[in-house]
Amino acid sequence: MSNEHTVKSYEEELQFLKDSLIKMGSLTESQLSDAMDAVIKVDKDSIDKIIKSDEEINKFRSKIDTQIMNLLVKRAPMAIDLRETISSLKISQDLERIGDLSKSNAKKVKPLPLDLPDELLGNLKRLGELVMKQLTEVLDSYVNKNFDKAKEVWEKDEQVDDLTYIAMESVIDFLSKDKKNLDFSTHLIFATKNLERAGDHITNIAETVCYLVKGEYLKGSRPKGKVIQE
Amino acid sequence: MNNIKIKSKNLNVYYGNKQALFDVNLDLNEKEVTALIGPSGCGKSTFIRCINRMNDVIDICKVTGNIEMDGMNINDKDLDVVSLRERVGMVFQKPNPFPKSIYDNISYGPKIHGKGETKSELDQIVENSLKKSALWEEVKDRLDEPGTSLSGGQQQRLCIARAISVNPEVILMDEPCSALDPIATAKIEELIDELKKTYTIVIVTHSMAQAVRVSQKTGFFHLGKLIEVGKTEKIFKNPDNKMTQDYITGRFG
Repeated sequence: MSNEHTVKSYEEELQFLKDSLIKMGSLTESQLSDAMDAVIKVDKDSIDKIIKSDEEINKFRSKIDTQIMNLLVKRAPMAIDLRETISSLKISQDLERIGDLSKSNAKKVKPLPLDLPDELLGNLKRLGELVMKQLTEVLDSYVNKNFDKAKEVWEKDEQVDDLTYIAMESVIDFLSKDKKNLDFSTHLIFATKNLERAGDHITNIAETVCYLVKGEYLKGSRPKGKVIQE
Repeated sequence: MNNIKIKSKNLNVYYGNKQALFDVNLDLNEKEVTALIGPSGCGKSTFIRCINRMNDVIDICKVTGNIEMDGMNINDKDLDVVSLRERVGMVFQKPNPFPKSIYDNISYGPKIHGKGETKSELDQIVENSLKKSALWEEVKDRLDEPGTSLSGGQQQRLCIARAISVNPEVILMDEPCSALDPIATAKIEELIDELKKTYTIVIVTHSMAQAVRVSQKTGFFHLGKLIEVGKTEKIFKNPDNKMTQDYITGRFG
């Protein structure tokens, strides 16, 4: 028995949807990474480019919405196709939000002084790298329909919480040394929080991938790190 | 979970040398709608025809195994088939009203089964049956007109009214909407929703969407075998069997 749809155009439409989502995922990855670099390097020249790339991500989101509406109307998808369609809708929403958070981080670069101490940025950099890795892995789990990998990402969000806590602490320490740092420290706190929220969207994607693959939602609550509990 | 109304165990059906059903084990719950799906020739109609012994009319047909209704052996040679069919009504793919008036279409069954001895009793049965099949308002002023003068959708509801006029326990529907337009189909589906409060319903359908809309349980047949049966929601969102998934998603070769 073939795994392809009897109706070829249906097969093509589903593949087109998957391809669009993968492209959107890859754009979101670049944007998150660029925004992180901009913050760490206090690179003010890249801000506009990052803001602009968010528009691209938003365009993908609308394009994917349209593709999904067409699929629902034309094909009334069932079983794995239904889960694939609904999952694409949910994942594209989460990717768009990650894009928004990256844009927000890029905007926070503007008021930052160029001579930020390394110890202040070190923890933020580690957090950014972890969130980046999480995004890459969750997108891999989507492409390969890998339940275990998605679940691993879901569980690892605890580490994102912990690192967020540590990064926040270092900004607050720095702030407490000199009240003159208040203005840009607030921006750094928001940037840290944005990364943690991006991590939450990545966990949503991981949950969606698990549902997509097995048709069941993950049971129990996700392990939570320090920042959430306190 | 409702009680089991119909129970088949290792049910086999042969048309001459050709085996049409292979060891089918399927339980149908009381006052629930069970949808049977599968490609043409997979045995779903053959299965429902075992429930009211319609296969008896085919000389070369042989049925082995067990099929019971409320513990009664449907295949019992001594069973009164007429009274079985009073308990198990059937609606077919194409509406097939008798070439008689709307009134006579409904009153014929009760008359031959000895129900409704007086005119007023029959009037009541006709009215109730037409009300239950959601046709009363449309035909109450023209009960003496031929059943065949109605539209396709109305004719099918007339056939449903005819089936319920003898107060059956089970209604078998063999693709009841395949000859109807979307509005008439919607009316029948709404009717099925209402009827399931009183009757056990089995519907054979080629429309996946219809199976999802009307049934609580779905069975998928392929080449005479029951491949998978389960809650409708489970079958259409996340079936266990790959063959079921391939069929409902349109990947069947």
